[in-house]
Amino acid sequence: MENKKVMGKLVSYLLNIVLVFIVVLPLLFSITSSFRPHEDIFKYISPITWKTFIPTDITFSAYKDIFTESGFGRIFFNTFFVGIVTVALGLLVNSMAAFAFSVFSFRGKKIVFFIVLLTFMVPFEVIAVPLYKVVSSLGFIDSYSALIIPVVANGLVIFLYKQFFDDLPLSIFESARMDGASWWRIYYGIVLPLSKPVTITAGLLIFVGQWESFLWPLLATHSDQYRVIQVAMSTFSQEHATIWNQLFAASNLTIVVPAILLLFLQKYFVNGIANTGVKE
Amino acid sequence: MISSKWTPYLFLLPAIVGLGIFSIYPAFQAFFSSLYSFSFVNQTNQFVGLQNYISEFTDPVFWNSVKVTLLFNVVINPLQIVLAFGLAILLNKRVKGIGFFRSIHFIPISVSLPIASVLFMIILNPDEGLVNSVLTSLGFHAQPFLHSSHQALWVIVGIATWKGVGYWAVFLLAGLQEVPSALYEAAALDGANKWTEFIKITFPLMKRSLTFVAVADTVANFLLFAPMYIMTDGGPNNSTDVLMYETIKNAYVNSNMGSADALIVMLIIIILIIIGVESKLLKPKH
Repeated sequence: MENKKVMGKLVSYLLNIVLVFIVVLPLLFSITSSFRPHEDIFKYISPITWKTFIPTDITFSAYKDIFTESGFGRIFFNTFFVGIVTVALGLLVNSMAAFAFSVFSFRGKKIVFFIVLLTFMVPFEVIAVPLYKVVSSLGFIDSYSALIIPVVANGLVIFLYKQFFDDLPLSIFESARMDGASWWRIYYGIVLPLSKPVTITAGLLIFVGQWESFLWPLLATHSDQYRVIQVAMSTFSQEHATIWNQLFAASNLTIVVPAILLLFLQKYFVNGIANTGVKE
Repeated sequence: MISSKWTPYLFLLPAIVGLGIFSIYPAFQAFFSSLYSFSFVNQTNQFVGLQNYISEFTDPVFWNSVKVTLLFNVVINPLQIVLAFGLAILLNKRVKGIGFFRSIHFIPISVSLPIASVLFMIILNPDEGLVNSVLTSLGFHAQPFLHSSHQALWVIVGIATWKGVGYWAVFLLAGLQEVPSALYEAAALDGANKWTEFIKITFPLMKRSLTFVAVADTVANFLLFAPMYIMTDGGPNNSTDVLMYETIKNAYVNSNMGSADALIVMLIIIILIIIGVESKLLKPKH
């Protein structure tokens, strides 16, 4: 028994370590390249030596340049601002809708839910042009509203919350109703506090979606003051196509920032509601 | 289920208004434009009925795309779901340093697909790429990767999986957190082995999370086009020419919106059939 446990642990460490290499190695190339002087980028690729993976003349000039010359500070602020506001609004709006689908029976429920499912199957690239006309007629073009409001309601997030809420026993709602609690109070005071793990994953889904969005910000904003990261990356790579170290530095920054966010979030995955005794 | 006259509609209102204006209405516009074709003679859109669909059906490029799309998805969806489930189980173990491993394994989530595509394109370059440099130094032959019609699609499967597995594992990990640990303790007392534990406890209780991941992953992979757009242009020899890439090409390169919209309508029908099957397979029994 004891032996088996030790073996199990050993296997899981081994698997973890192998996976770490698979994840990190492709990125390592981009990381080392960003710290190299521009002319050294392709110098050490062949033959393979330790110098392939470890930069020798370390320089931070690539990072300094992209902040001072290309204004990445403002761009990061914009992307974060848009991401965080969308997460806050999106969590509220979509979890409310999922609550309605999970708890109540009402006329037209099936068809409405089917339409919600359809909304995330229609690729954004296809509705981009008609959507532009809608957003333009609302007067949002070239503003934060254009980047945030159209993506707040999200069928995929509703679906995610619904899968979670469907597991909550109806008895807790019924007994809360007997105690005279309003539906809003039940949603806000009982259901949401139980939903921490799903809320974190939903928030991640929304944030990553905004962090990666490219086509819509490109269409919906044109002034520099609203520029977000992927648009900046694309213009940057067109203008600096041969300045490899800066290109790598910029792409590393777009990776590192959400990665740090995940570093903090992963802690929350240890406290689910499993052991509170609410779920059956 | 609880009946209430107005409450469900009030809870639904903000989401439905948002989806109605910013998703459903534009999607209907796109659907209707699949019935129109732009006429260069009159400089207007003319109603052509199902002509956009019919001309796809008679085009061998369309059928090749259907084949490539199905082949790609038959492989990538089960692969990603199984690997994500495995990773979630691995990351759910309470061993020392698990926080560190979780953080590392989640890093690809923050690598956007365009960036991952550019990065891998450089690493997999047949002439001066890192991977071939490693292969030749170990005594293997250099590989063409994205330049071979036999390898390109599978290279894209690999890249998308590298990027996707950590992401889908997050949703499954959240689901695993909700499996009561008391159940495992009881099973252990009964002398159940790991496999029975998995079949009797983990899998049934994970069906809802798995349904979400299966559906969302399937949709994401059917709509995937960035790697093809950045790395292969659908080639070599149309070997990576998925339907979504054809759609994008029709819409933004050939400016043939009507035929792009017809393609997407057919793509959505394929997706609906497949996720219908998936939800049936994963339906909770109670």
